[in-house]
Amino acid sequence: MDTYQRQQRLNTVLVPILAILSGLLVAAVLILFTGESPIEAFGELFRAGFGCRAIDRCAFLTTLERATPLILTGLSAVVAFRSGMFSIGQEGQFAFGALVAAWLGFALDLPVVLHALVIMVLAMIVGGIYSWIPGVLKVKLQINEVITTLVMNEIALLILVYMVNFPLRADRGTTAFSPVIDETAKLGAFLPGSKWGWGFVIAIAAAIIVYLYLWRSTAGYEQRMAGQSSLFALFGGIRNDRAALRGMFLSGTLAGLAGAIEVLGVHYRINQDFSVGLGFDGLSVAILGQVHPLGAVLVAILFAGVRLGAQLGLQINMGIPRELGGSVIAFMILFVAAEQFYRNNIAGVRDRIDHWRGRKTAVELAVEENN
Amino acid sequence: MEDGVFTIALLSSGLRLATPVILAALGGAICNRAGVLNLALEAKMLLGAFVAIVMAFFLGNTYLGILVAVAFGGLLGLMFAMLYLKYKVNLIILALAINLLILELTVYFMRVLFGNVGSWADPSIQRLPDFELPIIANIPVIGDVFSGYNFIVYFSWFAAIAGYVIMFHTKFGRHLRAVGENKEAAETLGINVRRVQITAMVIAGMLCALGGAFLSVGHLTLFTRNMTNGRGWVGVTAAIFGFQHPIGVLLTGSFFGLAEAFAVRIQNVSDLPPNLVQLLPQFATLAALILVALREKGQLWLNRRRFRQQLARGEMRSTVAGD
Repeated sequence: MDTYQRQQRLNTVLVPILAILSGLLVAAVLILFTGESPIEAFGELFRAGFGCRAIDRCAFLTTLERATPLILTGLSAVVAFRSGMFSIGQEGQFAFGALVAAWLGFALDLPVVLHALVIMVLAMIVGGIYSWIPGVLKVKLQINEVITTLVMNEIALLILVYMVNFPLRADRGTTAFSPVIDETAKLGAFLPGSKWGWGFVIAIAAAIIVYLYLWRSTAGYEQRMAGQSSLFALFGGIRNDRAALRGMFLSGTLAGLAGAIEVLGVHYRINQDFSVGLGFDGLSVAILGQVHPLGAVLVAILFAGVRLGAQLGLQINMGIPRELGGSVIAFMILFVAAEQFYRNNIAGVRDRIDHWRGRKTAVELAVEENN
Repeated sequence: MEDGVFTIALLSSGLRLATPVILAALGGAICNRAGVLNLALEAKMLLGAFVAIVMAFFLGNTYLGILVAVAFGGLLGLMFAMLYLKYKVNLIILALAINLLILELTVYFMRVLFGNVGSWADPSIQRLPDFELPIIANIPVIGDVFSGYNFIVYFSWFAAIAGYVIMFHTKFGRHLRAVGENKEAAETLGINVRRVQITAMVIAGMLCALGGAFLSVGHLTLFTRNMTNGRGWVGVTAAIFGFQHPIGVLLTGSFFGLAEAFAVRIQNVSDLPPNLVQLLPQFATLAALILVALREKGQLWLNRRRFRQQLARGEMRSTVAGD
């Protein structure tokens, strides 16, 4: 690996880290509005989001529990982006996955383990098909997938509201809930105090599989090439359309699985506001995680921890509104999206250091190596 | 239940509910015409809703509050434009980040300013007054449907018509459409692409903010978390369904508004599922997208066939000439 490549790789890590630090800086300013000390607040946020007092009162495990759906919707976005499809349909696929799980959770009668497995597989298929449709519309009719997935999100959310209020409604209480799923369908937790359990293990396994698929298999290679440069891929004999459709289907299965796990492992039933925002968070996770499975896992845990820390640490202990967490996350995404800004500045700083030390700049090195 | 489902009250509440959607969709349409897919309509609306009610409270005048909200909407549009054009931020990511940011920040500042509350209202805030239109109010039925709203409702209709005139009968409108159709070509013709796009995004921000203000001080007088509740996204859809045409947007926006009013109505008078009605415009949008794409594909196929036929005829002619 030459110097230029190495610096490119370093940037991939440096950009999100700088974005996260910038986000925290903005958070400090926001905290000043409340009159509290930012340093104290950060300490509280960290303790409540990432700390661990005892094994059964461990905030970090709750963070991992909450990170689970984010990891999966994040992976879903990673797979779609890597096949060159800008799918923002995770929200809708998540809703359908959850719907399938909530319904089959009480409607099916199967033994332990098998019950949950069947539900998860079906939720994946349903999510996959719901994501495959905009894929087909894009490939066959060149309809912008951003717009179709957007409309299909709205449709899925309306169907979810309808299903929860009518066919799946458990009782005539003021808020509509679906019935609680059977014990056989529930995904177990490992420790008391949080619902951190098999769902998380599945999410991590999914991350590994996505990595192996995209970077260690021929089909994944085709998909990445189709995503990066469709003309180049065509010349290389790759069928772009098929790769893109496969990517969309896989992306949908992951979002559907996220919805199913959220029902089977955490809530056991759904209400009409079940999926609000989780799908969009997945997109953010993928983007801040540099569209890579490992990045997605780390960022999902970061997001979940910041949210939990803001909720438990800041709001309950210090009286700072918990929306600080979400705001900080939004700033981080904004900063990482303004990547070009960092890349320019990192390069500028590096050139200045190189110049000061009397060394050649990265660009000069790259030119030399190419000659 | 036959009586009392389709009533004049339903129509007028539909037009009321359509107002924020029409305004947002107009904003979206202007941006799309300028070649910028604007998915941050939701954020701009929510900011407008928040600023309008807060400023109405602090300034003691609802109209002034709305004015400030519109200015803030324009500023957010400007920020969006600068990040997109100067730092080349991906439009969709930028929009999603701004949506999340405004969703959280509005609640954050609501709680910082007014204590830990889930929603906020103050009796001192005046709701925007309704007024009757002269002449039209006296016409039976039509007067009941098209009169008796606050100024934002009337403005949304006016904005659609003005938007049509500006878009299709002014120099700025021609430039706007040229930029959207082919940026490079527009640039070579000497059109300032950046300025056109920035203007479009600022106008969109202002229109959305006005739509948001309608929710917080025109329709109700309170602010609550995620008050717009997806209306900005509906605006995006209505803009597409209306084919980015201001009059089309007026119609599709009203369609969405009527569907929502109808859903509310069904809920009150029957046990039928209300939300299924709201699916109708969404499916219609999807169908419209597919039909347009199919038509384009068909056109392409026809053109190709015509070309081939001409080619065949041309060849025949050349052989005749050769003889």
